Amino acid sequence: MPRRSQTSRRQLRLGLAFASPWLIGFVALVLGPIAASGYYSFTDFNLFQSPTFVGVDNYTAMLDDDRFATALFNTLYLTVVGVPLALLLSLGFALALNSRVRGLPLYRAIVYLPTIIPIVVSVYVWRWLLNAQYGYLNRILGFLHLPQPSWLEDPAFTKPAVVLIGLWMVGGTTVIFLAALKDVPRETFEAALVDGAGPWQRFRAVTWPAISPVTLFQLIVGLITSLQLFTQPYLLAQTRLNAAAGGPDDSLLTYGMYVYQNAFVFLKMGYASALAWVLFLITVAITAVLMLSSRKWVHYGQ
Amino acid sequence: MRRRFLGALAAGALVAALGACGGGDEASGGKTEVVFSYLWAGEEAAALEKIVADFNASQDKITVKGVSSPDFQKQLTSMSGAQGSFDISDHFGSGVGAWASKGILTPLDDFIKADGYDTKDFPAAAMSQMVYQGKTYSMPIALHTQMLLYNKKLYAEAGLAGPPKTTEEWAEQIAKLTKRGADGTITQLGYANAEINTSFTTLGFMFGGSWDDQSGAATPANPGNVAGLNFYTDNIPGKYGVEQVRKFTSGFGEYASAQNAFYTGKAATIIDGEWQPVSIKKFAPTLEWGVAPLPYPSAQPNLTGTTQVTTSTLFIPRNAKHPKEAWEFMKYLLAKDAMTKFSLALGNLPARTSLVDDPQYKALPQFDAWLGALKSANARSLASSPWAAQYSSDLALAFDDIAQQRKAPNDGLAGVAQKAKSYAP
Repeated sequence: MPRRSQTSRRQLRLGLAFASPWLIGFVALVLGPIAASGYYSFTDFNLFQSPTFVGVDNYTAMLDDDRFATALFNTLYLTVVGVPLALLLSLGFALALNSRVRGLPLYRAIVYLPTIIPIVVSVYVWRWLLNAQYGYLNRILGFLHLPQPSWLEDPAFTKPAVVLIGLWMVGGTTVIFLAALKDVPRETFEAALVDGAGPWQRFRAVTWPAISPVTLFQLIVGLITSLQLFTQPYLLAQTRLNAAAGGPDDSLLTYGMYVYQNAFVFLKMGYASALAWVLFLITVAITAVLMLSSRKWVHYGQ
Repeated sequence: MRRRFLGALAAGALVAALGACGGGDEASGGKTEVVFSYLWAGEEAAALEKIVADFNASQDKITVKGVSSPDFQKQLTSMSGAQGSFDISDHFGSGVGAWASKGILTPLDDFIKADGYDTKDFPAAAMSQMVYQGKTYSMPIALHTQMLLYNKKLYAEAGLAGPPKTTEEWAEQIAKLTKRGADGTITQLGYANAEINTSFTTLGFMFGGSWDDQSGAATPANPGNVAGLNFYTDNIPGKYGVEQVRKFTSGFGEYASAQNAFYTGKAATIIDGEWQPVSIKKFAPTLEWGVAPLPYPSAQPNLTGTTQVTTSTLFIPRNAKHPKEAWEFMKYLLAKDAMTKFSLALGNLPARTSLVDDPQYKALPQFDAWLGALKSANARSLASSPWAAQYSSDLALAFDDIAQQRKAPNDGLAGVAQKAKSYAP
């Protein structure tokens, strides 16, 4: 008996030794900073001087912070509108690309293309496409006799502009849906066809159950990405002086941007850490609700 | 000066694309290496490198290595460690208080005292920004003032003889200089903001306002500030429709390019700084332009010659490896000879009163107007408070709300006053 436990202890040590590069990295670069931010969230910390403990002041300060409310609202808006739209669109693309049409590889490439363009470059291009006076988008709208909004200057249209850019970049999601569609059992599909099921019934009864686990995965990933949205609104709101801009009427101020501004522009690292933890809790809560709801609509196997 | 903003913009977008630079402590042949990281880039950096080379040749104890690093965030984060990557760098006067209060900067008083260094030649409006709680944390290397620029060709077309003296005259001229199509579409504006925060804070000063009081507290809702912003909303969006103005100004080209709205004649007047003579020569050499003192309300002639002074500064971070040698180099840059070369190359105002009348500045067209403004009794500046970044951000938001007529000026500025109550000292 003692001999055996010695072996297993030896193996445990060996295993840990082999895993140590990752373990050390994880503890030092991931777990450590997370724990540190948890501690900083209860302090007044400006990055340069030692933090002083302030209790829950940073958390209660959020209750009186207009810009916190604005940032939270903007982020939820972009998530609630943007994520379902992006999923619907990419599912539509995937279904279309799954059909047997000539030149499919070309279409697939076209749908995927925007995702390989560096995001900073594409947002700068979109800044010009969305220009109220000279932008192509408004030129097309004018041609169709539709209203031509000031996309980046009118607070009512800045968030739709961000959603629009997001929809342009659904290539990655589409490709994952496409792979899932390839796994839909052909026999079931053909059986439904023989039984006289129409296209909608086939999708509803055969395709959807088969791709629902992937949809849940994409929904959660999309949600987390959207709650942390930074690059697109940051670049669209950027001003010449590189100040802490949030777009017209702060309409582009996302939660991620507000965390960044507090940490690195206002040098309120304690408050920024508290904000980050609140976002984490919000993300956990929304994900938990989705996971619970998934019992009703996600099907795993037979 | 403006180019480093653009540089910062580009760099901000490509954060960390260019990683490590600086560092290097090796004493080459017994010399101490001082790293000078600056926010300037391009031609301005080249002009600066010449001065660095002059300094290196002038003595045999210190070698200065210049690094162009126009990234505000990188500059800030590299000052947070125990050992910094640079010994001397540049920033803005309005930011001194924020950094000094957080212990980011090395106080220069001991150096000044030990050397018996004379700071009297630096204008008081600039030096007051360098001091935080009685200690000097930075030195001014260049100054900036704001003046009224006007397009002479558009003035002639509108049958106007010359620039306005009073704000009332200016309002009339703006109306005559604004052109619209039959459907209300604007094709030319009598006045446009060059940069909304600077333009609006300057408008506040022009109407007798102030953005902070003697004790250093924020006073955004000062009646003069409200009057200044009312002037803008009454004469531009209030008159021509906020939608139309928004649409027209959204088509303005990049600031530092030939498509600048003032260079292309889309805006007939602007309030802008002394870098314009050099900038116009470069981007719009055929532009016929003039410069005039900022107009004053006719009821308040005591406000004649109002301008806003801003400062470019040099500082030594608290984690500099060689603060003493950095101070030696700083003194060299602040001396008349280097400062003249530097300000001439950048088209900035020198930070020494004894240089204001230097004939070398006559080479730049109409530059003397901005130089002269330095001597004005109404040369005003923003306080360099610990919370300057947050104040500036809150003002930017309110200014945008006001310009877009979502809020009336008194309403928007009262909102900032409310937020200012929670600014941490």
